[in-house]
Amino acid sequence: MPKRKLVPLPLAAFQILLALAGEDLHGYGIMRHVAEQTDGRMRLGPGTLYSSIQTLVDAKLIEETEPREDARLGHERRRYYRLTSTGRKLARLEAERLRDLLRVARTRKILRGEYV
Amino acid sequence: MSEKLYAWLLRLYPSRFREAYGEEALQLVRDRCRDEQGFLPRLRLWLDLLGDLAVSLPRAYFDFRRELTSYAAHLRSEGGPPLLVLEEQSLGPGAWFFGGVLALATVISFSFLLNHGVKHVPLSALIRPARASAYHRSSSFRPRPPEPASDSQPPASAATSAEQREIVAPENKTTNDAQANVLRPPDGSHAFGQQGAQPRRAANALSVLAGAEFNRAERQRVVDQAAANLKKHYIDPVVAQKIAAALVAHEKNGDDDAATDGGAFADLLTRQMREVQPDTHLEVLFSEAPLPRRPPAPTAEFHARYRKALEQANCTFETVKVLPHNIGYLKLNSFPDPSLCRQTATRAMAALNNADAIVFDLRDNRGGYPGMVMLIAAYLFDHPEYMYNPRQDTTADSWTHSPVPGSRLADKPVYLLTSARTFSAAEHFSYDLKMLKRATLVGETTGGASDVGVFHRIDDHFGIGIREARAINPYAEPDWAGIGVKPDVNVKAGDALGTAVNLAETKLVKK
Repeated sequence: MPKRKLVPLPLAAFQILLALAGEDLHGYGIMRHVAEQTDGRMRLGPGTLYSSIQTLVDAKLIEETEPREDARLGHERRRYYRLTSTGRKLARLEAERLRDLLRVARTRKILRGEYV
Repeated sequence: MSEKLYAWLLRLYPSRFREAYGEEALQLVRDRCRDEQGFLPRLRLWLDLLGDLAVSLPRAYFDFRRELTSYAAHLRSEGGPPLLVLEEQSLGPGAWFFGGVLALATVISFSFLLNHGVKHVPLSALIRPARASAYHRSSSFRPRPPEPASDSQPPASAATSAEQREIVAPENKTTNDAQANVLRPPDGSHAFGQQGAQPRRAANALSVLAGAEFNRAERQRVVDQAAANLKKHYIDPVVAQKIAAALVAHEKNGDDDAATDGGAFADLLTRQMREVQPDTHLEVLFSEAPLPRRPPAPTAEFHARYRKALEQANCTFETVKVLPHNIGYLKLNSFPDPSLCRQTATRAMAALNNADAIVFDLRDNRGGYPGMVMLIAAYLFDHPEYMYNPRQDTTADSWTHSPVPGSRLADKPVYLLTSARTFSAAEHFSYDLKMLKRATLVGETTGGASDVGVFHRIDDHFGIGIREARAINPYAEPDWAGIGVKPDVNVKAGDALGTAVNLAETKLVKK
């Protein structure tokens, strides 16, 4: 059961869930993924990033895996994070909520486009 | 460098967060530093970090508190007692930081306030605000050494000291005008005005203070002393005898018993004396604060300060200028000591010598030296003129030294601007020029300072003011003591200049 403060899902948390949807990542990896996802508009600072991670871990939406090295970034051992099934479900719910929102926006002629 | 700085900033976060993610956060900054080289990326990195700090720091603390609340709710729902045990935590660096900044700001603002313009207000002034009206009329008596001392002096010495100067009215004290305070003449009188007197006629509060011991014996003593002083000092011994007898009789009859506090008693005695002799310069004064036994002699340093303040203020000749239509204007804020300011006065009068009319602005003039009154008045006559001054015996010095060589002002129209704050020597100037029909007074009735008697101390709280100068008042009207000088043209002080200039212009056109 997700914590109440995650409904609606804060944007940063949603982005983190999306970033982890493909693969397990460490903090810096999450930050870079999120930046890519948003064309560089959202660069999560360490405070926001790790407090979001903390909240998500507490809510069991993501979990920590065994620390390991990232070959591209040197020999430091890093904590990696993985999406849990609850997290995946919540991300999907959030995406559907946004889809419904988009649909409304299209019927109101606020948004044009092919997708959704 | 960036990493070290961020490590320091990281200490602002709650310890719980630092323990869990501090190292990782630092690592992330290290990674970004490595990947984002160059000035602009580095700048962007720091903007990100600071923005992140601003957003996430409050949230970090807020969330911590919310968890506590939810924990409490949880406990309650379990049915257990709603007790919370806070983990003991030392103050975080954030608290130290903000506390430090706050303390620093406090220290700085305090030192700023102390250095800039915050005047010291004695506590006593806050507790018992001076009553302006009673104060004006009564407290500018010249203090005199107590009885035993004056007995040993030749009587002439009192007269000379009286001749020396008039007193700047005590209004000074109630204003915050620092300059006016400094300009108080450097004789003992300022000391009386400042610490001493605050004589008040209707002081209820003092029944608590001095009045606590106020009883019949005290009243009797005051009456006897007042009577003795009258007999010794009053100018007319026959009248003195009558007044003294009346005071003693009233006391014996028990007429004074109703007066249970010092102020009311002093008022009563004053009324009783004036019933016998309607002399406005005669009064009994009460001072809540103990009266000094002997006024402290002014120090050399005081004289030097007074002189310097006068120099800085141009001898209080605030404005000397010629207005349109060749009307001379002199704003004079006191009548300063002629031995120090004769030159300034001469220069000012010379500057206005060619004016067709002259306006003296006395609205902020609280008094000064009769010598200066005579010096300036001399320019306005073409023959020696008698200037009545209730404070001085009538002597050769009561006539102006007119004509002043080179003065062209003797026949020019003169206007005096007055206000309720025009006092003492300025009233002397106004009263005589009005009575001599030499000037038109425009403005408000003047303050009515009755600083015309000599003050005799009776005890720590009572004194009697007795007029001792034998001045001849040639006019049918009483002088300004207690009532002020009425203007010829009654307008608000603020409008006086405009009105006077209009009058002068009209007069000059008619010519």
